[in-house]
Amino acid sequence: MSGVPTVAHPFPDNFKQLLITRHTISKKIRSFFYDAGYVEVETPCRVKCPGIDPYIDAIPAGTGFYLATSPELQMKRLLTLEIPRIYQITHAFRSNEHGSLHNSEFSLLEWYRTGTDYWGIMEETEQLLRYLLEGDFENQDTKLIHNVPFQRMSVDELFRERAGWEPSKVWDEDRFFLDWVDKIDPYLATQPFIFIYDFPAPLSSLAKLKNDNHLVCERFELFMRGLEIANAFTELTDPLEQEERFKKALGKRRMMKKEEYKIDEKFLDALRRGIPECSGVALGIDRLIMGLYGYTEIGMVQAFPETRL
Amino acid sequence: MIETSDIRKNLKLQIDGDPWVVVDFQFVKPGKGQAFTRTKIKNLITGNVIERTYRSGEKLEEAYIEEHEMAFLYAQGDVFHFMNNQTYEQIEMTAEQAGDAKSYLTENMTVEVVYFNSKPITITLPNFVELQIVHTEPAIKGDTVSGATKTAEVSTGFKLQVPVFISNGEWIVIDTRTGGYVERVKR
Repeated sequence: MSGVPTVAHPFPDNFKQLLITRHTISKKIRSFFYDAGYVEVETPCRVKCPGIDPYIDAIPAGTGFYLATSPELQMKRLLTLEIPRIYQITHAFRSNEHGSLHNSEFSLLEWYRTGTDYWGIMEETEQLLRYLLEGDFENQDTKLIHNVPFQRMSVDELFRERAGWEPSKVWDEDRFFLDWVDKIDPYLATQPFIFIYDFPAPLSSLAKLKNDNHLVCERFELFMRGLEIANAFTELTDPLEQEERFKKALGKRRMMKKEEYKIDEKFLDALRRGIPECSGVALGIDRLIMGLYGYTEIGMVQAFPETRL
Repeated sequence: MIETSDIRKNLKLQIDGDPWVVVDFQFVKPGKGQAFTRTKIKNLITGNVIERTYRSGEKLEEAYIEEHEMAFLYAQGDVFHFMNNQTYEQIEMTAEQAGDAKSYLTENMTVEVVYFNSKPITITLPNFVELQIVHTEPAIKGDTVSGATKTAEVSTGFKLQVPVFISNGEWIVIDTRTGGYVERVKR
């Protein structure tokens, strides 16, 4: 068969260019981690214990299985093999997340580095971003941050300035998230790049609490013009505390009448045997592309968002 | 009752007794925590646009809005008379209900009358209407500055800026969303 197609093309104009852009970004990410001595690993998309978080719901994938909401638990288990630096580019799946910034399936870059805390990995995240920003495209923001370090602000500082209270000292979960949406997000949208660090302890998830202040945890997020691009922890390596946190999160899911997942005993077992002190970052590649190229909908940067399946 | 997951553009909501329409919305989940839907909504009576944030799972009340195609008959003082094109029923609206639409209403013009709880609340006009100029000063000779405009009054009494070459008795197209001149038409 030959000739031109007669039906409207299902992809937007210039989508070919976007695919090539994604390819270039992936290639640069791989070369950055290769040069930094990282080993690329793979973990399964289908798991038995999807991780336990009150606000992250997994998609069932056959009896006893779920699609992975994050590769975190498996990647940390790989750290017991004494490979000091690992990364992967994979897909993560989350139920009931749809919108201009959310698609149930999305591309994730995740990396772990031993022997460093969240400050070290924050520095590395900034280096990666600068490396990706170098070269073939220039927008106003890239000029703005040229030779200027990314902004860094603690959650308490941010809330003191924008919402008039310090969440770590007087924790109020409902007020925290509502203020984030109404008062913090509009401010973050004005910043080209900003790291927000030291989250209140109740939002520690798998992060270690800060040694000198147990009200906050060693966690940061990176925002690019208000887009939440990356989330990182100094990883909690204490098996007892980790088990407690899983149980607490399960209790919360029970209260919210949400499905209760099984605690990943094999992961806890790895912690009991001992995983090295380390830090890890998860970075959303689709949102990174949105931020770099000014797209407003995640569906515009994915070849097959749900609407195109 | 509906839920936040039902929110989409153009959904009509009833909030504190008033009808609102969703102009824009976004699902947000800050810090991997609680989820919200941030909305931009417009009051269908006042036209006021505000932002409102809903927690995921929060219940919302849908507003029952109907639109009926009607012909504008005539105005008597501050009362505007319309006829339903299907049922031939005649209705009256106040100047306040007619809102900005009254600047463009001419006899027999077809409009959509918006009903909320069985009461007419507002009028949706076509985006473009044709109206006749009833008064404008003649162009001043030699005024050739490109883009120069002057004030003109159309048959409804509405005044707007038009290019200097427009004269009395001519018909023009007006964009009802902006109230601006679009082009001259031959009739």
